[in-house]
Amino acid sequence: MSEEEGVAASTPITGQSRMDSAWGSGGGDEDVSASVAQATIESGQIFEQIYQPWRGILNPRWMRNWAILRHHLLGVIKKGHRPWGVFTRIALLMILLSSCSDVLLTLLAGVIGESELYSMFGVNRDNLYGHVLGFFPRNVLYYPVITALLVGGMISEDRAHGTSALYFSRPISRLDYASMKFLSVAIILFIFIDGTLALYYFTDILVMGRGWAWIIDTFPFFLSAFFGGLLIAFTYTSIGLALSSVSKGRFFPGIGLIAVIMGTRTLAAIVDGLFDKTILYVISPFDCVAHVTQALMGIEMTYDHPWTWSLASIIVINGLALYVLANRISSLEVTRE
Amino acid sequence: MVEDLLIQTMALSKSYGPHVALDALDLSVPYGATGLLGPNGAGKSTFLKTILGLIQATSGEGQVLGHDIRTEGELIRSRIGYMPEYDALNPNMDAIHQVRYSGELLGMNPTVALARAHQSLEYVGLGEQRYREVGSFSTGMKQATKLACALIHDPDLIIADEPSNGLDISAREFMLTTLETTIASGQRSVLMASHLMEDVERVCENIVLLHKGRLAAQGRIEDLKAIDKEVEIHVWGHATELEHDLTSSGMRVRREGRVMRIRHDGDETYNVILSAANRCGTQIRRMHDHEASLEDLFLVIMERLGYEIKGSGDLFAEVNI
Repeated sequence: MSEEEGVAASTPITGQSRMDSAWGSGGGDEDVSASVAQATIESGQIFEQIYQPWRGILNPRWMRNWAILRHHLLGVIKKGHRPWGVFTRIALLMILLSSCSDVLLTLLAGVIGESELYSMFGVNRDNLYGHVLGFFPRNVLYYPVITALLVGGMISEDRAHGTSALYFSRPISRLDYASMKFLSVAIILFIFIDGTLALYYFTDILVMGRGWAWIIDTFPFFLSAFFGGLLIAFTYTSIGLALSSVSKGRFFPGIGLIAVIMGTRTLAAIVDGLFDKTILYVISPFDCVAHVTQALMGIEMTYDHPWTWSLASIIVINGLALYVLANRISSLEVTRE
Repeated sequence: MVEDLLIQTMALSKSYGPHVALDALDLSVPYGATGLLGPNGAGKSTFLKTILGLIQATSGEGQVLGHDIRTEGELIRSRIGYMPEYDALNPNMDAIHQVRYSGELLGMNPTVALARAHQSLEYVGLGEQRYREVGSFSTGMKQATKLACALIHDPDLIIADEPSNGLDISAREFMLTTLETTIASGQRSVLMASHLMEDVERVCENIVLLHKGRLAAQGRIEDLKAIDKEVEIHVWGHATELEHDLTSSGMRVRREGRVMRIRHDGDETYNVILSAANRCGTQIRRMHDHEASLEDLFLVIMERLGYEIKGSGDLFAEVNI
């Protein structure tokens, strides 16, 4: 439209139809009314925003690492730290009490002086081994289950919630992050396995009034079992955290760990049953540790292949798990995930 | 390296295999508030990770707060408060403990961190909500909690990645006011990455614009706006003639009906427009300088940036400022 047309008196009013649609097509004499929402009157406090500077000194690396460790460990028993689920806490308590069953029975045997009971549950080479590496129930229901509960969300939740940014945007290195997470799980497992082992051993000394000769005789076995406990705690933790680092949820790492431990053992047991060959037990993390600990404690071997193969297998399994863990943690993002 | 600069990089490059994420970046960011702009894939995240010392630059050097980004990443991160764009909070933790833990991760004593967490949450407007679980927070409250985590140790530089992302009007207003207060009253520097030009324009004095890993523009927003300065006229009659006249005089004219915008090429521009209007018999009913918004500026720069552009020098050379 030219400018002359635009200002001519005969130029039709444009947009009429749109106005009709919006306001109706009446002649303008309608009884119009409108309602407007009334603002609610709020009463409350006066918020004054004042920036408050802080001139404190930041502590060095060990304090930051301690903060991570403390956050995870205290979370098990205290609010305000890592929020472990209620089910996890109850399960941990139940398993801790169950792990102390031999402690309680030794105590009972000592108190009532029942030698039959003591011969079954008191400290000896086999019972020390059994406390750490007995398959049922300890390495079926206790230790793999608590490891699964602990590692489930340990790294995967940082990935899912983006909380990895909270660590890596601060002066926390990936090595510190991984090692403190590892230590958190391993320490809890250590308390459950070796802590209760030590309690068992020292309860026996206390209630049975053992002398130095007995202690000198049995202490090497205790130390060997203790070492086996460290090995199993380390191995379960490394496999569990590796699985946690490749996941974004709790379920997969937990169930994956139990599947690895039980699955490899079941497969090896089937092969052993069918072909009478124990060699496949080298793929089972539990059996490898059990085999090495049997060799250390000098108890009857339940495997035909050399124990050094099992030792090599433990090193390979842990190496692989730690490689996966390191690899995945190095790829955890700080800006986005 | 100049010590009174917040961030300075010299020929900073970062490659992921054959993909060049940052290409010979020469940056000088002064203390104060700076907006980090760029389209997706421009290299903003890589730049942030590089200056935080989280990834090693392929070549070049840089300093943040006077610390070398190659060797002093931990020192840099202890003096920076980073507020990520995405969720970075444990939904099952109370806000107070979440903020306290973020302080402990910096090396703060737990008691001091707790006291400071109370102050930070009060400052970001969550004083009454601090014992609520983060999972029950609205988006605005989560953003405020992230800001409290970033501010707990009173950092020299706050890196805020999309701070007003997903916020409603009042929450956005509060977030921007809080950042402004932190800059003005706290005397802290802010590096704010955002896609919302209005927010950047409100909070920041300077911008850094990245494009395909290269520096497209940097400097004060006011100065950069001069790139797209125009004279706006409202005309009556013979508008097309006037447009042709001005175009033939070498002026760049954009027309929308009776409104024309002519590129400002110095004070002579006004005389050229008036003479042309006189020749064409056009009435000029209104004439004023048109100041581009940051969004206009961004679009103009991105429009002009071809694949051939090498840096801000080329851009300025092209527009002949």
